[in-house]
Amino acid sequence: MQVKIDLHNHSCLSPCGSDDLTPALLAVEAMEQGIQILALTDHNCGRNLPTFAEACELCSILPLFGMEITTVEEVHVLTLFKDLGNAMEFAAFVEFLLPKRKNNPKLFGNQLVVNLEGELIEQVDKLLISSSNLSFSDVVEEALSRDALVIPAHIDRFANSVLANLGFLPDLPYSALEAIHVPVDADTRGLAVLTGSDAHSLDQVGRRSCYLEMPSITYESLKTSLKPEFVSYRHA
Amino acid sequence: MVVRDLANIQGFSQQCISDEPFEISDAYTGDLLSDVMGNAPSDSVLITIQAHKNTVAVASLAQIRALVICNNRSIPPDMLQAAKEEEIAIFTTEDTQFEASCKIASALGRFDAGQN
Repeated sequence: MQVKIDLHNHSCLSPCGSDDLTPALLAVEAMEQGIQILALTDHNCGRNLPTFAEACELCSILPLFGMEITTVEEVHVLTLFKDLGNAMEFAAFVEFLLPKRKNNPKLFGNQLVVNLEGELIEQVDKLLISSSNLSFSDVVEEALSRDALVIPAHIDRFANSVLANLGFLPDLPYSALEAIHVPVDADTRGLAVLTGSDAHSLDQVGRRSCYLEMPSITYESLKTSLKPEFVSYRHA
Repeated sequence: MVVRDLANIQGFSQQCISDEPFEISDAYTGDLLSDVMGNAPSDSVLITIQAHKNTVAVASLAQIRALVICNNRSIPPDMLQAAKEEEIAIFTTEDTQFEASCKIASALGRFDAGQN
């Protein structure tokens, strides 16, 4: 079966994310667009993931509990977990490693943790778009060892991407790659190249979803189907 | 020197500038924004290739008064808008970071820059 997936999205927790992009609205908008597997990947923090779990359950979407980690080289990497608890544990670890620098909401934007109704639970003080001080290869290895999927984000972007910041794609066991435009003008090492919306506002949800041919809508099935021959960028 | 003096440096093209005559007493060259945020001195000019909006936010936080964007990279509209709001000047140049840094060291009279 062909399944519509979107594995890169922010919420109001990311400083650059719009304040009205709550986890619930993200899930509802994704549902309306027929997205069947959806990830929330805020910058270096997982505090909106529990609300995202509730929202996806209500919308009958398979959630992936993610983060977009900033490595010490300022490369963005997506880490995606099946299990909320494992994701929260890893997210707490990454957030702890961020420098003790406070966010200035006027400059960077608000960092809002909200409930299912979109009511404010807390504001995160630490600046979440700082660098975690984990190296690119450490992030890949650490996340894989915790059974997460690891996907270097927007590898064709001019900033915060593995190709822009490191200049090449290190030979590491990534789950897949993410690009803004396909095909990518680089050696993708036979990996599946996904497109993800990287939504920072409601109108960006679903703008770059892609499709994966997979036997069933489960995490295990997703994991084994992350192969170039199963990815498509248009509905069949 | 003040921010406006940067416009007189050969090959620097002014994209936006504040009316305030901010003093520039130092410079910092770097493309890793986390490093810039932690180490760039205040009242400085940043020489970088990072032509995006986050550079303005980091500059504002570090009280950097001007950005020199090298290698002929173009300035996206949201970056320009943010710079105007934060009163941070932007100059673009075909120079590399090294060439731009040398010119700024000269303009600042920092001939001791390599001598600690």
